[in-house]
Amino acid sequence: MDDVISGAYVFTGERSSKSYRLNKMANTLSVPENRARFQADEPGYMRGMGCSDLEIDLVRDRDWKGMMDHGASIYLLLKIGAATGVSLPEIGTHTGGMTVAEFHARKGH
Amino acid sequence: MAKVIGGIGTSHAPTIGVAWDKGQQKEPLWAPLFDGYGPARQWLEDVKPDLFLVVYNDHVNRFFFDAYPTFALGVGAVHAQADEGWGKRPFGDIPGDPDFAWHLARSLIEDEFDPTICQEMSLDHGVLSFLPILTDSDWKVPVVPLAVNVIQHPIPTARRLFRLGAALRHAIETYPKDKRIVVFGTGGLTHQLHGQNFGKHNEAWDNEFMDRLETDPTGLSELSIQEYMERGGTEGVEMIMWLAMRGALGGAVTRVHRNYTAPFTTGYGLLVLET
Repeated sequence: MDDVISGAYVFTGERSSKSYRLNKMANTLSVPENRARFQADEPGYMRGMGCSDLEIDLVRDRDWKGMMDHGASIYLLLKIGAATGVSLPEIGTHTGGMTVAEFHARKGH
Repeated sequence: MAKVIGGIGTSHAPTIGVAWDKGQQKEPLWAPLFDGYGPARQWLEDVKPDLFLVVYNDHVNRFFFDAYPTFALGVGAVHAQADEGWGKRPFGDIPGDPDFAWHLARSLIEDEFDPTICQEMSLDHGVLSFLPILTDSDWKVPVVPLAVNVIQHPIPTARRLFRLGAALRHAIETYPKDKRIVVFGTGGLTHQLHGQNFGKHNEAWDNEFMDRLETDPTGLSELSIQEYMERGGTEGVEMIMWLAMRGALGGAVTRVHRNYTAPFTTGYGLLVLET
């Protein structure tokens, strides 16, 4: 099976292993208290969760495409999005190298 | 004796729950979706099921990749709602059915399907996005949830899910108590949540899939995971779970209701079948 299909990543074991710390950090954001701690100090919270400097930079830059390139699961990016006030269309379009406005124009909304 | 009285295939998505909670049922974008559930809701009121057996997937809300089960069965008396990161929706816990669920566990394992048995099984939008549309949210009908890994590859094949459906039917038909059970398969239909084709859905394939689910489920079960992802997106592969519902219905089926709409980023399908 290919691991990239129509420009989308298949979330393989290799990707899951590579991005494990970032995904694990994102998973903790399901707890309201953790969301608050993350929002108060994103790099400190991430460092405490064992994330690398690269992962901290990717989140600081809201580089959703970079996070996907790093192997993250789209479902965990949604949790980071929920904690930072970034919506699925904003995340999804960024990973595809387009703006939300360009996306809506393409879809005819 | 218990029996399968029918099956429902339905999409699920967080956006359905958001639109529902905001009261957008009659807005032009969403009315074709929500109105489409009306006949399915009426059918449920008519056939009066005692139990919903729901084959769905968790979106890294109950389970994380530290230990990610391929199949997981909820045997608890109640299922909590998962907080997906936006806070919980205004619903109470969902009742389960431990007696039936443990019977199902025994029967599945005898049939060589080996789910992780979960005393606690918080439910995310994989169940809760469509359930309040189909029933009142006082949850009178217990839910037995069976989660499938369709997120972290390798994932089960379409054929495996179709055969799982047959095993569900066998379990239901060997349950000694009178139960009228509706089996759900939920996921998809086509959607792509990241990459250059973000937001793309494939209406032709979605409708072919719903056609063939009625008439040619065996053919659908022979398609590879790669073929499902090429046609319906890497996330749209969820749609293979409808095959578990179809497998539980056995041979010929009668269509009660069908709806399809694609308002935003996902092809939303709904199919109600009777045995």
